[in-house]
Amino acid sequence: MAGTVQDAGAGPPHRANGHKAGILARIFGAPSFSVIAATVALVLVIGVLRPTYLQASQLLDILQSSAYVGLLAAGMALLLSMREIDLSVGSMFGLCLISVAMLISAGFNTWLAAGAGIVLGGLLGAVNAAIVTYIRIPTIVATLATLSVFRGLAIAVTDGSQVASLPVADSFFTIVGGTVLGVPFSVIVLALMVIGLSLMLHHTPFGYRILAIGSNPGAAQFSGISANRVRTQVLILSGLLAGVAGVLGMAFFTSGDPNIGGGFELAAIAAAVIGGTPLRGGSGTILGAAVGAVLLNVVATGLTYFNVPANWSEFATGAVILLAVAIDSLARRRRAANQEK
Amino acid sequence: MPVLEASGVHKAYGGVIALRDCEFSVEPGSVHALLGENGAGKSTLVKMLAGVVRPDGGTIRLDGEPVRFTNSADAARHGVAVVSQELNLFPDLDVLANLFTKREPLRGLFFDRREMIAQAEPVLAELGLSVPLRAPVSSLTLAQRQLVEVAKALLTKPRVLILDEPTSALDDDSTRRLLGLLEVLRQREVAVVFVSHILEEVMQLSDVVTILRDGRVVMAGVDRKTLTIDDIVHGMLGDRPPAAVAPERRELAEDAPRLVAEHITVPGVLDDVSLDVRTGEIVGLAGLIGAGHQALLQVIAGTQAATGTLRLPGQQEAGAPPRGLRQAVRQGVALISGDRGLGLMAEKPVWENVIQVRTIALGRDGRFLSRGDLRERARSAIAGLGVRTAGVDQHAGQLSGGNQQKVVLAKWLAANPSTVLLDDPTRGVDVGAKADMHELVHTASDKAVVLLCSTDLDEIVSLCHRVLVFRRGRVAAQLSGDDLTRHRLLTEMNAPE
Repeated sequence: MAGTVQDAGAGPPHRANGHKAGILARIFGAPSFSVIAATVALVLVIGVLRPTYLQASQLLDILQSSAYVGLLAAGMALLLSMREIDLSVGSMFGLCLISVAMLISAGFNTWLAAGAGIVLGGLLGAVNAAIVTYIRIPTIVATLATLSVFRGLAIAVTDGSQVASLPVADSFFTIVGGTVLGVPFSVIVLALMVIGLSLMLHHTPFGYRILAIGSNPGAAQFSGISANRVRTQVLILSGLLAGVAGVLGMAFFTSGDPNIGGGFELAAIAAAVIGGTPLRGGSGTILGAAVGAVLLNVVATGLTYFNVPANWSEFATGAVILLAVAIDSLARRRRAANQEK
Repeated sequence: MPVLEASGVHKAYGGVIALRDCEFSVEPGSVHALLGENGAGKSTLVKMLAGVVRPDGGTIRLDGEPVRFTNSADAARHGVAVVSQELNLFPDLDVLANLFTKREPLRGLFFDRREMIAQAEPVLAELGLSVPLRAPVSSLTLAQRQLVEVAKALLTKPRVLILDEPTSALDDDSTRRLLGLLEVLRQREVAVVFVSHILEEVMQLSDVVTILRDGRVVMAGVDRKTLTIDDIVHGMLGDRPPAAVAPERRELAEDAPRLVAEHITVPGVLDDVSLDVRTGEIVGLAGLIGAGHQALLQVIAGTQAATGTLRLPGQQEAGAPPRGLRQAVRQGVALISGDRGLGLMAEKPVWENVIQVRTIALGRDGRFLSRGDLRERARSAIAGLGVRTAGVDQHAGQLSGGNQQKVVLAKWLAANPSTVLLDDPTRGVDVGAKADMHELVHTASDKAVVLLCSTDLDEIVSLCHRVLVFRRGRVAAQLSGDDLTRHRLLTEMNAPE
């Protein structure tokens, strides 16, 4: 079992026979199964109609541009599964990215600047956690405020203008912004994060605590699990992931726009929900969240292959979210009905 | 002629038959007790009569006419009202709004509050409930909320009133009032269905008794006067003898680890209370509501701030009482409450619940967890406890109340606590499961100090080696041995200061 990415925790009860159940049943029963199947199907459909879509470079491009929201969505899935939400992830992503750009532009070592960007993400997450814990307001309210505060900082420190003319020949830009064996560096990071976080969620006491709080906060607290502590840790983790995403984005874009990542928080929530993490808490899937981000991008890029005006892409994205959630809900109801029999 | 009558009704959930060929009828002006162990089919029958569940077959007649209630509101319109175990109140709304939910009298477009008050006041007076009508329900005590539920049902002027364990969390005073009220209902020719676990109450109160066992009626509409408690227990349990656990008078080792609390004070609640209990002892904390016995339990559990010192078994030095439940749990305290909402994750499998304290909260089983190991661990943890489940993968919420409480017990005992605090641990649990629980607590006391608060005096008397009776925040009496009787206990609790 070790080493495999276990996508469990929320599994429907018929799967509950655990390792005795067939591998197929486990795959089909996994909460992220729907989103993976939908993504693959959609890619194939577009590919059949427009074969150039299936070029490796095009597909890697889609993965590359999904990596940032994918990382944010992974953090979001953790938060949603404990009935919390972080609306500031897009702003944290932007602020971290812009901070790295400014440090590099000021002549700091690029790798140190990158490290500082990740640490900054963790600090921003800690700020969110501190507000929630000490002012005692719901996370959604606290992060609604810091959504603007962090974004506002990014705009204010740059005077609203881009940070450009960075040393793009530097090893940081060529490695982190480049590819390894043809695969974009950021995609590799996303994959590693998905594996690591999935193991964390489904195979460590910490992960079980997250799910326990989401399942029944009262019972969790009553068992000696500190909701404040776990929430703080997950908010910091969410910030760190935004920091990592910011650094990856910086390396790839090679310039810093203070408005970058606006709206990413909603995309991340959408990706997590499409991926199979319900808002009611108690279960979650990191893999689903990451694939959800990919699905959103597949839709957006697919449209351009059919000459759909770019102005319709927002509409299409919304439609996909509705469709994905509706199918999932129907499937869940059918499974529940089958169980009754 | 019966008002409400079920004949030949049956119901199955999945493959499990909850009720088969059941006959049940209530006459106006009589109180009909419906008894049975958890899982015997009582709840299913009650839900059918109240329109919540539709029978798979058979008929329900109201005044001799077959009826099919579409839902509980429909049943209520036909004069069948229910006061259920779970409270269905809106905590943020005031008492008045809760009494008239969805049937508020209107004047024009607005609520007619004057009319609402005029209707509500006599009913509340009848129940002996004096709370401000504009107070939000969240500011009421549990007992008061339960009476609000009763009042809400009475306001519909029901012809049939179903009381589903109405007294499981009421104090003696309110119970007495409810019993008085039932007397009134009887005179008003209301047919009452009464579901209760407290057999003495049933004997005091009901006219007719029906007993279910394993989904069948084993005793149908028998005159209560011809029955003894023994008959009823036998009917409920069948040939299984009621396991009465008498506390064995064991010799306690002089050097057994002890729990020592000294000078515990909570202003206005607890006044300089001290306690010394040895491992192996089961000590009851008794008193009327607010006497301080529950506060002491909370202090040890860390959920109530207090001054004074506390030394748990195994600790070298006395320190301040734990700050917060988390700290208490880490120090070896287990807190088992009768409030099942606090005990379990209903939508998670049994195994995830069982490992929650030891493996998850305390992290004692390492950093990397594999589900196979965890399920195995859970399986062995519940093995000795006689939990009736389809396996550790069954969702905890699907178990009967008694089995849920055993799972709660299992999850705490898995952490090898040095101190076990029981707060009304068998609330709403049937006779058989209760006896099982008592047996288990007894076994657990080999390795831990056990402190028990309970609304069930029999439980305290039969389970505890000694009992501390609290009055006004102080230990007023200590009972043990032959002094420890239900009668003495009740007298001490109510003794004037």
